[in-house]
Amino acid sequence: MSDTVALHAVGRRYGRTWAVRDVEVELSDGVIGLLGPNGAGKTSLLRVLATSLAPTTGRVSIFGWDAEVAEQRTEIRRRLGYLPQELGFPRGFTAFAFVDYVAVLKEWTDRTARHAEVRRVLDLVDLGAISTKRIRALSGGQRRRLALAQALLGQPRLLVLDEPTTGVDPEQRAGLRAVLAEAARTSVIVLSTHQTEDVAALCERVIVLDTGMVRYDGTVHDLVAAASGRVWVGDDPDPRAIASWRIGSGRYRNIADRAPSGAEAVEPTLEDAYLLLRAEAAHPERITT
Amino acid sequence: MSSWHVEDRDLRRWLAHNTALATSVSIEQHLVSCDGCIDRVGALARQDSALDAEMEHGWERVRDAVELHRPSWLERGLTTVGLPAHEAQLVAAARAFRGPLLVAVLVVLVFAELAGQFGQARGEFFFLLVAPLLPSAAVAFGYDPDLEPALEQELCTPYSPARLVVLRTIAVLTLAIPVAVLLGLVLPGPISFLWLLPAAGFVAADLALSTWISPLRGVAVITGVWSVTVWVTAYHSSTDAALHGAYPSVYLVLVVVSLAVFARRAGHVRGAYPGRSSR
Repeated sequence: MSDTVALHAVGRRYGRTWAVRDVEVELSDGVIGLLGPNGAGKTSLLRVLATSLAPTTGRVSIFGWDAEVAEQRTEIRRRLGYLPQELGFPRGFTAFAFVDYVAVLKEWTDRTARHAEVRRVLDLVDLGAISTKRIRALSGGQRRRLALAQALLGQPRLLVLDEPTTGVDPEQRAGLRAVLAEAARTSVIVLSTHQTEDVAALCERVIVLDTGMVRYDGTVHDLVAAASGRVWVGDDPDPRAIASWRIGSGRYRNIADRAPSGAEAVEPTLEDAYLLLRAEAAHPERITT
Repeated sequence: MSSWHVEDRDLRRWLAHNTALATSVSIEQHLVSCDGCIDRVGALARQDSALDAEMEHGWERVRDAVELHRPSWLERGLTTVGLPAHEAQLVAAARAFRGPLLVAVLVVLVFAELAGQFGQARGEFFFLLVAPLLPSAAVAFGYDPDLEPALEQELCTPYSPARLVVLRTIAVLTLAIPVAVLLGLVLPGPISFLWLLPAAGFVAADLALSTWISPLRGVAVITGVWSVTVWVTAYHSSTDAALHGAYPSVYLVLVVVSLAVFARRAGHVRGAYPGRSSR
């Protein structure tokens, strides 16, 4: 059995619009972050990875199995944990009953083992104490953690997570990062997020999508390094800057090729690097390297 | 807090359920407020592996009692007829089995039946127009993707969507058959049982159609075709003409062909893998 997840020239079209085009990536153990603006194709790509959506073109091979073949797709699903961007919950279910329901779908037929596993994942996301609460009584952040709990059932080899930390408070987010970092020891985790700090904290590798195409695929370190010497903090906004915003100290953070007058260079963050990459894609003529 | 504590010897007896009722009550009352004695209970239990395991199971049972949902009447019924408890849980989660929906379907059926019995030709026409469609509508509610909030999640698990659809269909029909039999006993004339033929055909046809479109849309298509058929046959012949002549054979053929189509295209049910056809 192969250890890798491979997408070969994968494309997905809705009508005449291509949501994903010519994606060629190979993923192995660890956490891989998927960044991109709204409509970049992140969710479509994750749905293809989760076998929820068939690609229009190309081939998806997960641990050596072909997602197009029904029997092999079932094998993939036996090793998959998936958190969709919007997960609906059946009416009237408690947190425990919902995760138990998904566990049954994941072939946990032995009642005692299944209940122990449900408790394990609920405890992991810190919902063990409120497992008997009805889902409609849970907060948005608690529902998101519940959605993550069902994805963690059975310690899947592949975890596909679409914005797992949306709506989760900073303290809980730190807890979830620890859970995912632990899961990454034995799993391939692909997560999409708008939180660049999550990617910086969790991922060694990042893939940036834009208009359905891969714009960057490499280490977080290299992406951040590319922005080195192009981030400045000064007293005024720079009109020539790619991006400029006021920071907490009252000064201005500028992403620019040349130093604005009186500004000093600072260490770039992943967010700076991401903004720079987006600007390069949108206006290549403005960038001088 | 009392300076009195339970002796180890008494705790061991209590753990072994070997104390008199009055002593047990006294010990338990003390344990409620004495952390030290509670710790000693744990330590003593851990010395005896059988006792330790029993305590662990005891906690499991307590958690089960608190956390597990009580099986619904439908789950209990399904397990009684031999379906494993975990699959009964999957079947019963469908919206089709929510009380209000079942009551609504039943009310429409009873209304149609009353019309058929007391409304003479028009009533019979109304009954024929409505009743055969109700079972397929109820079945569609059991697995329509638009009514399934966690559908995307369900599809990405190894559990077969086709199996779930078939189980829910059987469950709906199992509930519907006693009602149909009762109706047959009450309604006069051959219409009382003949309406079950198109009803069976429509359930099967909807299963087949649901491999292309959603089951509720399938029911809409069937409703359109059936309405035209009933109107046209009634106009040219008698009210219940759609149940006589060659029509019963047509419904039987519809059942067989539809089930064959469903069996062949089961991989497409509920949009299990939309896009290119699965090999």
